Amino acid sequence: MNKFHLLQFHALLQREILEHRNMFIMAPAILAGLILLFSVWAMTRMGQDTVSISIEYMALLFDGLSPLEMAPMFMIPAIPFIGIFYFCAIIYLMNSLYQDRQELSILFWQSMPVSNLNTVLSKLVTIGMVAPLFYIATMFALYVIALFWLAILGWSYDIEVAGLGYMFLAAVVSLIFVYLSIVTTALWLLPTIGWVVLFSAFAKRTPILWAIGVFILVGFLEEFIFGTQFLGNFVQSRSTPTQYLILDFQDVVERLINYDMLFGIMVGSILLAGAVYMRRFID
Amino acid sequence: MSNIVEARALTKTYGSLKALDGINLTIPTGAISGLIGPNGAGKTTALKALIGLCDVEGELNVAGMDPRAARHKLMEDVCFIADVGILPKWFKVSQLIDYVEGVHPKFDRIKTGEFLSTTDIPANKRIKELSKGMVTQLHLALVMAIDVKLLVLDEPTLGLDIIYRKEFYDRLLNDYYDGDRTIVISTHQVEEIEALLTHLNFINNGEIVLSAMMTDLADIYTEVVVDPEQIAQADALNPIHIRELLGKKSYTFESVPKAQLQPLGEIYTPSVADLFVAKMKDSRHE
Repeated sequence: MNKFHLLQFHALLQREILEHRNMFIMAPAILAGLILLFSVWAMTRMGQDTVSISIEYMALLFDGLSPLEMAPMFMIPAIPFIGIFYFCAIIYLMNSLYQDRQELSILFWQSMPVSNLNTVLSKLVTIGMVAPLFYIATMFALYVIALFWLAILGWSYDIEVAGLGYMFLAAVVSLIFVYLSIVTTALWLLPTIGWVVLFSAFAKRTPILWAIGVFILVGFLEEFIFGTQFLGNFVQSRSTPTQYLILDFQDVVERLINYDMLFGIMVGSILLAGAVYMRRFID
Repeated sequence: MSNIVEARALTKTYGSLKALDGINLTIPTGAISGLIGPNGAGKTTALKALIGLCDVEGELNVAGMDPRAARHKLMEDVCFIADVGILPKWFKVSQLIDYVEGVHPKFDRIKTGEFLSTTDIPANKRIKELSKGMVTQLHLALVMAIDVKLLVLDEPTLGLDIIYRKEFYDRLLNDYYDGDRTIVISTHQVEEIEALLTHLNFINNGEIVLSAMMTDLADIYTEVVVDPEQIAQADALNPIHIRELLGKKSYTFESVPKAQLQPLGEIYTPSVADLFVAKMKDSRHE
C-alpha cells in the first residue's frame, strides 16, 4: 500500500464520518448535553449537606484504589453512550451498502477509482475503530467537565476533594477500556456484521427484514433437514455479556487470541467477501 | 487510429427482456461518439457495461482493460456522468471536491476551482441546495479537472433548461475536448448533440442499428422527395423509410448510389434526427 492508497483510504473514512455526522458526532454530543443538563438540574435540588456527603462518600469509595482499579466504576456513565453507539451501528451497517443504491448516488461512488473491497473495508474500519473515537472524545470532555465541576464544588463548599488526579487517570483508563471493548466486540461480532452487510449489499429493499428473515429461515431449515441447531448454538455462544467487556488490559489478549474469535473472524470475512462480490454490479 | 472501446457480442438479459442483444461497438480513440436511441433501447445498459457497472456476456475491452474485472483501475482513465441526480446530496461542494481530490490520482483541484469561479456555485452549500443546472455544472467541473482518456456521458443534460444544456456542451467541446480524449454521449435528444459528433451509433431494442462516421453519412444515406410519377421506381429500390412531406413522399435510402436516385426527384442528405426516425422505424420492421 503506497502513500496515495493511504490518503485514498483516509478520504473514504472522512466521507463516512461526514455522511453520518449525526450518528457519530451529534448523537453523543446531544447525549452529553442532556446528561450535563440533568446533572445541573439535580444539583440545584440538592442541599449543601447532601453535596458534602456525596463528595466525602466518593472519596471513601475510591480511597486506596489505583486508577486501574477505579476505571471499571468510571465505565458506568459510558453505558448510555455505548447503548446509543450500538443502536447507531446497526442502522449504519444496515444502510452501509444499501442507501447509495437506493438514492442512485452509487453511480457517482462507482465512477471513482475506488475498489469495492476498499469501500467495504472503510465502512468496517469506520464503525469498528473510527466512530467510537468520537464517542470516546465526547465522554472524555464530559469527564473533564465533571471533574472540573467537582473541584469547583469542593472549593466553594470548602470541602477537600482528594485524589482528583487519580480520578482523571481512572477516567482516561476507563475510556481506553470502553474503546477496546467496542473494538474487540466488533471483531467478536464480525459474523453478525458480515451477515448484515451482505444483505445491505444484496437487498433491493428493507435489508433488515432480509437479514433477520433469512437467518430465521436458515435456522429453521437446518433443524428441519439435519436435526441440528448449529446456528442457534453459535449465536448463543456469543451472547454472554462479559464477552463484550474489557475491564483489564490482560482481557484484550485473552479476548483476541482464541479459536472462537478466529473462527468468527473467518466466518465474518467470508460473509464480507460475499458483500464485496455483490457490490460488483449495480443492476 | 486505435480503438479505446471494443465490444463484441455484448448480451444482457433481465428475465425475458434482452437489454443488449449481442451488440458490437467500436469507438476509436479521440472520437466524440453518440449512442442514440429511444427510451428503453439499451443505451444506459451499454454504457454501464463499458464502465464495469453491469454484468454482461461477450468480449469487452475499454482502454486496454476488461471493465468487469478491473472497474476501479479502469476508472482512473474513465470518467462518467450519469444524470443530474447522482451526486451525493449531503456533501457540501467543498467536501465533494476534497473527496475527489482524495480518491482520484488524476484530479486537478485548481482546474475545478477555475471552472467553478465562472459559475454561481458557492463552495459552502450542500448539493441538495443547488439547482439541477448547478449540480450538472459542478459534476462537469469535477470531470473536466480529471485527466482521463474516456468520458462517458449518459443523458447528462436530462431535465435541464436549454441555457444549461447549451452551456454544458459548449464547455465540453471548447474547454475539455482536445482531440486525444474520447467522449461517448448517450441521449435521445438527437438534435442537441448532432453538431458535436464525429461518430454515430443508433441503438434500438438492444441492437446497434447504425454505426458510422458522421462524415460518411452523406455517402451512405440519401433522402429523396420523389416525383409522383417516379414512386414505383423509388419503391423498387428498397427505401428504409417513407414519410409524407408537404403533400409529397420523401424516401430515405441506404447505400443506394446517388446517380441512381437523382432521376427520382430532389435529393438531400437526411438530418441525424430524420435518419434516427427512419432507422428506428426500419429496425422495428426487421
